[in-house]
Amino acid sequence: MENVMEDQELKPEVPETTPTAPETEKKKSKIPTKLIWDIVVTVALSLGAVIMLLPFLWMVLGTFRTGASIETSFFPQAGDWSGKAYPDMWKESNKIMNSDWAVIRAILNSLLTTVPVVVVQILVSAFAAFAFAKLNFVGKNIMFLVLLSTMMVPFAVVMLPQVWWFDQLNLLEGPIAVIIPKFFGSITTVFFLRQFLYGIPDSISEAARLDGASYTRTFISVILPLLMPALATQAILSFIGNWNDFLGPLLYIQGNEWYTLPLLVNFVNNKGGSKGVLAVPQTLAISLISLVPIIIIFAVFQKKIIGSIVFSAVKG
Amino acid sequence: MEEIQQAAEVQAAAEDQLIEGVAGVPNGKNKKNKGSNLRKQENLIGWIYIAPMVIGLVLFSLIPIILSIVSMFYRYDGSAQISDWVSVGGENFKKIFGGMHSKEYWDSFANTLLFAIQLPLGMIIGMFLALGMNRSMRGVQAFRIIYYIPCVMSVVAVTVVWKKLFAQNGIIDNMFHNSDAYVTNPEDQFLWLDSRVGIVITVTLLQIWKGVGYTALMFIAGLQSVSTDQLEAARIDGAGPWTILYKITLPALYPIIFYLLVTGLIGSLQMFNEVYVLTGGVGGYKTAVSFVYYCKEVVKNYGEASVAAWVLAVIIFIVTAIQMYVDKRKREAE
Repeated sequence: MENVMEDQELKPEVPETTPTAPETEKKKSKIPTKLIWDIVVTVALSLGAVIMLLPFLWMVLGTFRTGASIETSFFPQAGDWSGKAYPDMWKESNKIMNSDWAVIRAILNSLLTTVPVVVVQILVSAFAAFAFAKLNFVGKNIMFLVLLSTMMVPFAVVMLPQVWWFDQLNLLEGPIAVIIPKFFGSITTVFFLRQFLYGIPDSISEAARLDGASYTRTFISVILPLLMPALATQAILSFIGNWNDFLGPLLYIQGNEWYTLPLLVNFVNNKGGSKGVLAVPQTLAISLISLVPIIIIFAVFQKKIIGSIVFSAVKG
Repeated sequence: MEEIQQAAEVQAAAEDQLIEGVAGVPNGKNKKNKGSNLRKQENLIGWIYIAPMVIGLVLFSLIPIILSIVSMFYRYDGSAQISDWVSVGGENFKKIFGGMHSKEYWDSFANTLLFAIQLPLGMIIGMFLALGMNRSMRGVQAFRIIYYIPCVMSVVAVTVVWKKLFAQNGIIDNMFHNSDAYVTNPEDQFLWLDSRVGIVITVTLLQIWKGVGYTALMFIAGLQSVSTDQLEAARIDGAGPWTILYKITLPALYPIIFYLLVTGLIGSLQMFNEVYVLTGGVGGYKTAVSFVYYCKEVVKNYGEASVAAWVLAVIIFIVTAIQMYVDKRKREAE
C-alpha cells in the first residue's frame, strides 16, 4: 500500500506540468493565464477552507467564554472571556452521571473499547488475509465470497438480535458486547490486506517454507514485517472508526458508568438525562475533549489516512 | 462494496486457473503421497487461520440474520427468553404496511430519502474542489488535509456543535432574523431542528460539510487517471477548459461518480447518528434506522423492528443489484 501511496503523491505533478510545456513554446501569453487561474483557485479554496474550519473555530473559542453572547456574536465580546467552562463541565458532567470522574472514566471506557479491538481485529484479519491470499484450501473462494456478502446486510438487521442475544447472557451492562463481536476480524480489513499480499511475490514465502519454516513461522517472521505499512494504515482507520462509533455502544452499553466518550457527550446534552444538560460553553468543551485523540492521530498520520482513501478510490 | 466483491470474483477465478495449472504438473505419481499430505496440512492451516472470521460470521451475522427473519412473526423484547416470544402471525407486517405505525414508518423513510439530497449537492461541490485541488500549485496538499479534517472527526461531537450552531435563537438563527419581534414571537421562528424543512437543511449542511473532503479526494484520485495525452491533444485542437471538462474529464470520472452515488446512497439509507443527536433521541424526526431503534426503545417490540429493518435491507439489496448489473454491462462493453 505504501508504494501505491507514493505513486499517488507523485502523480499530481504529471498532468499539469506536461501540458504547460508545449504551451510555453507556443505562446508566452499562456503563462499568465495559468497564474491568474492559480490565484482565483487559491482564493476560492481558501474561502472554502475558512468555511470548513469556522465550526471548529467557534467551538474552540466558545469553550473560553461565559456563553452570554455566544448566540449573537461569533467572536467573544469584551467581558465574555472566561476560563470556567472546563471546570464547570467537569462538575456538571459528574453531577449528571453520578460519578466523581465522569470524563476520565469515559476516556478510559473509550480506550477499553478501542485499543484491544484494534489490536485483535487487525491480527485476526491479517491471519485470514494471509490464508486467503497465499494458501490453497478447500472452500477458500466460497468462504471469501460469503464473508464479503455479509457487508451487504445492513447493521439494522442484525443489531437487535445481537442486543437480544447479549441481553439473555446479561452482558449489556458493560462494554463486553461492544468489544467481543469485533474480535472476530473485519472483512474490509481482510480485503485490503489480501490485496496488499497479492503484491508480495509468492517466492518469498515459498523460500521460507523450503527452509523448513512452518506456515505460522513464515507468516510471523517473513510476511508480517512486509505487511506492516498496510497493518498500520488499517489500525489507524480502525482506531478512528471505533473511537467515533456511536450506534454500537448506544445499543450495547446500558450501564452509565461504562459510557464511552460519544455516549457521554450525547447523554450530557440530551433531554434524556433527568438532571439537566450542560450549558453551551461546557458542551463545546466536552466535545472538544472527545475530539483531541482523533486530532492528534490525524495530525500524525494524515498522509497515511489520505493515502488510504486514494488507494480505495483506485481499487473501487 | 460490490466493486470489492467483483474484484474478488475475478481474482478468485484467476487463482483457480493458476492452481489447476500449477498443481497438475509437479505432483508426479511417486510424489503423490507427500503432495497430498502437504495439501491436507495446507487445508487445515488455512481453515485455522480463517476460523475466527468464520466463527464471527456464524455468531454475529448468520444467527442474528436467522433470528431476525424468525422474529418478524413474533412479539418480544430484549428481556424475553425465547419461550416468552409471542407468536403474532402477520401482525408486525400489518403495523408497518397500513397499520398503526405505518405513517410513522413511511414518514421516517421519506425523511431518509430527503436526507439523501446531500449526495448530489456534495458531489457537485466535491467535484469543483477536486478540480481546484488537482492543479499543480502551492498549497494544494494543505487544502486536501483541511477539507478532509471533518471526515475523521467524531460524528457525535461535531453534531453536538452543529446542534448548538443551529439552535433556536442560536448564532445561525440570529444571523437570519435579528429583530426583537422575531425573538419574542416564537410562532414566526424558523425551526432549524424542529421542523421537517429545518432538519433537512441542517442535516444536509452537516453532511456536506463532513463528507465533501472525502468526495473531493475520491475525485482527485479519478482525475489523476485522466490521460495526459488526451488532454494535451484536446488543448492543441483548441478545446476550451469547459469543453475539456465536459468531454474528457467528466466521462473519465463516471466510474467514481457512480461508485460514490451507490455507496453514498447505501450510507444515506442507514443514517442514524446525526439525526439522533440533533433531535435528541428518537421522539421527533426519524430515519429508517432510528425507526428500528424506536421499535426497540419505545414500542419494545423487536419483531416489528425486524420487519422495519428488512424493508430497508431489501431496498439496499436492490440498490446493490442495480450496481452489479451496471458494472457487468460496463465490463461486457469493454
